[in-house]
Order: sequence, then structure tokens, then C-alpha cells
Amino acid sequence: MRRGVGISGINQQLLEKAKFNEKGSELARDHLDKLAKQFETFRDNLESFAEKHKNEIKKDIAFRRQFQEMCATVGVDPLASSKGFWSQALGVGDFYYELTVQIVEVCVATSSQNGGLISLDELLLRVRKARGKSRSAQDVSHDDILRAIKKLRILGDGFTVIEPANNQGRILIQSIPGELSMDHTAILNSLQTRSSFTVEQLREQFKWSDERIKTAIDFMIKEGLLWIDNNGRNIEYYFPGLFTAQRVTAGESV
Amino acid sequence: MSSTNISDISWYYDFPPFFTLQPNLDTRRKQLDAWCSLVLDYCRLKKIFTFDVNDAKKFPLFFNTKINRQLDNNFIQVLLEELRSRGNIEWQDKNKRHCLVLWKSIEEWAKTVHHWITSRGMNGTVCTFYELLYSDDTLSAEFHKIDENLFRRILMELERRGQATVFSDNGAEGVKFL
Repeated sequence: MRRGVGISGINQQLLEKAKFNEKGSELARDHLDKLAKQFETFRDNLESFAEKHKNEIKKDIAFRRQFQEMCATVGVDPLASSKGFWSQALGVGDFYYELTVQIVEVCVATSSQNGGLISLDELLLRVRKARGKSRSAQDVSHDDILRAIKKLRILGDGFTVIEPANNQGRILIQSIPGELSMDHTAILNSLQTRSSFTVEQLREQFKWSDERIKTAIDFMIKEGLLWIDNNGRNIEYYFPGLFTAQRVTAGESV
Repeated sequence: MSSTNISDISWYYDFPPFFTLQPNLDTRRKQLDAWCSLVLDYCRLKKIFTFDVNDAKKFPLFFNTKINRQLDNNFIQVLLEELRSRGNIEWQDKNKRHCLVLWKSIEEWAKTVHHWITSRGMNGTVCTFYELLYSDDTLSAEFHKIDENLFRRILMELERRGQATVFSDNGAEGVKFL
């Protein structure tokens, strides 16, 4: 029996919107034009479209994103559990399930080094390395990682995505047991592409009391998120996860 | 050999806090693990077999000019003691100024020598200490031109295993492989 996830909630307006979705590929638009009139026919055709383009959806990052956006427009979730039609027709359930396992493995393996804070770039690099030789056909994107992590969050609070404020900086993935407070996140966001800060900088930027600054720093040191650089002139605090993120961007080894 | 980028061996080398002994004990544990690996990998690469504490300040590993950081004396002492406790260095003098660097254990070295000798059917032959270390015949051997004290230790280990006897003839040291 077919699982029509979200389809029953669809109304004509959404179908109209899907019809005029400018982001769809030529092929998708043609299909959508044909299907707009009949709801049932639309759903049937969406499913066979997926079946027919299964390989492209699996292999082509851009096509996959377009397809998912198309599904989202009509309220269909192709990332449904492996018992659903979509995962069986497309195998996408398996794709994201495997990706999730790989993400968790990378985070666990690197957490002793970065305290459980890793940049999306570095995570992607390491996941690709792990997928390497046996998955030559498939590539993985930032988008795929973020979607998989979103699914992980359903299981619990273990993983959080920290987005940079005002798009100035890196997307970070946090996988530590102790929750980061707003102060910690504020410090992270203030760094943009840097990987270190001094107490002076925090005082100037946030006007926090020394007590408040010390509390935030002490917690992060205890969690292994921060290392101390005592270079004789002043004391600077570094996030190893952000430092390696910079190396990844520069193409250097981590 | 072209100059090695030490940070390619370990990214920690270019990480400024790596040169500050970390106060948090868990982090310090990771830091010392990384330092020990780096020292051993570096010495293996550069074929360094001995270390003198007097040269510590000039040792390229302990001073990163690119980021202007260096290990202070206390940290160097802590690191050397950590390496000693792991069996990776052996002090040669009571004052702890000079040590052997064992990026490969004495047992592993003994196996290497024994294997090289056996694969050439040299069991039962007698060789001098110097020809084993320096002659062209041993060019292909990993133990060619290694530190003499280290080599003596290796031969003693072989003797302990009953795979060789070490002797001295008029001051010339030799070994018979059994």
C-alpha cells in the first residue's frame, strides 16, 4: 500500500506553486505542467518520475537538491524511514542512513581532538574520505550533511548545527554532551574565520564581567574545546576545531 | 632529502597552544600523546638515534619559527620524562643529558637484524662490529650506520635471545650469528 506522506494535506494552491516553481529543471517543469490538473495523477507521476530518475537523484547533487525542493513544495518527505515507498524506490533512505552513521563516526573519532566541535567543511572532507574508494559513483554535499544531521536531531540533542551570525564565518557542528550556552555560542560567532580570542577581546566586544568571561572559558577548557596559548605576551584561547577548519580551507593536512 | 614540512607530519606543530603545557589534564594527555608521536615520527624520518639535552633549544621540533613558539625547559623535561616512561628514550648517563631515541624498540631492532642476517644465509658467520655498521655490504640494511651504542644494545639483545654471541678480539668487537 502506498504511503502518501503529506499528500492528503495538499491543496490546489500548493499545486499551482509547484507548477510555477522556477527552481525546477526543464524536465521537472514539463512534468509539473502536465500533472497540475489531476491530484492523484500528479502523485503517481511524481513517484514514477522519482523511480525513473533514481540514479540521477542518487548521483547528482544539484539534481537531488532540486528534487527535494520539488517534494518539499508538495509536502512529500523523500527522507522517510526505510519502510517507506520513497526509500525503496530511490534507496534514498539508505543513502541518508549510511551518511548519518558516517557523520557520527567522524564526530566521535575527532572529538578527542576538537572537543566535539567541528566545521562543516572539515566534516565533509572526512566523510568523503571515509566513503572514498567503495563509493566512487556518489558524491556528498554540504546540503546532504545538513539534512542528515537534521534527521539525527530527531534521535536526541546529541548534534547541533551552529550557524554563523550574519553569514560571517563557518557553519559548525557540535556533538558534545555538555550543552553550549548562549555565551559560548556568542563567542564562537564573534570569531568569524579566526580560531582564537583573548579576554581583552571578549571584554571589548561583549562588555561582560570578568566573572562571566571566566565561567564561559573554564567550561570550554574543561570540555576540551579550548586550548591555552601562553606565548609570554598575553594569554590566547584557541578552538582546535576552528584551527583545523582553517587548514581544511587552505588545503593543508589535518 | 627536501625540507620536510613538519606540520605535514602533525598539524599540531603549527598550532600555537601546542607549545604551552596545557593545564587541563585530559587535554594535556592528548597533547603529550601528540608530542610523543611527533618526536618519534620526526626522528624516524631524519634517522636520529640520539639526543642531547644541551641541544634541545636548537632542536627544530622544539622551536617553530613560523609561529614564533618554542617549548620551555620545563615542558622539555616533562616531554623527555614522558618518552622515557613509554620506553621511547633511554638515558645513557646518570645526569640525564644524553639519551638513545628508540622510535623502534630494541626488540624490534633485534628482529630486523636477525631477519636481515637470516635472509642472506649468514647464520654461523662471524662479522666485525664495524663492517656490519659501515661496510657497503650492509648499505641496504636499515641498521646501516646507526648509532654505535644502539647497535651494541641490539647485539646484546640478540645474544640474550641466543641468536648471536658477542666477543672482543684485541679490542675489535665482533659478533657470531648462530
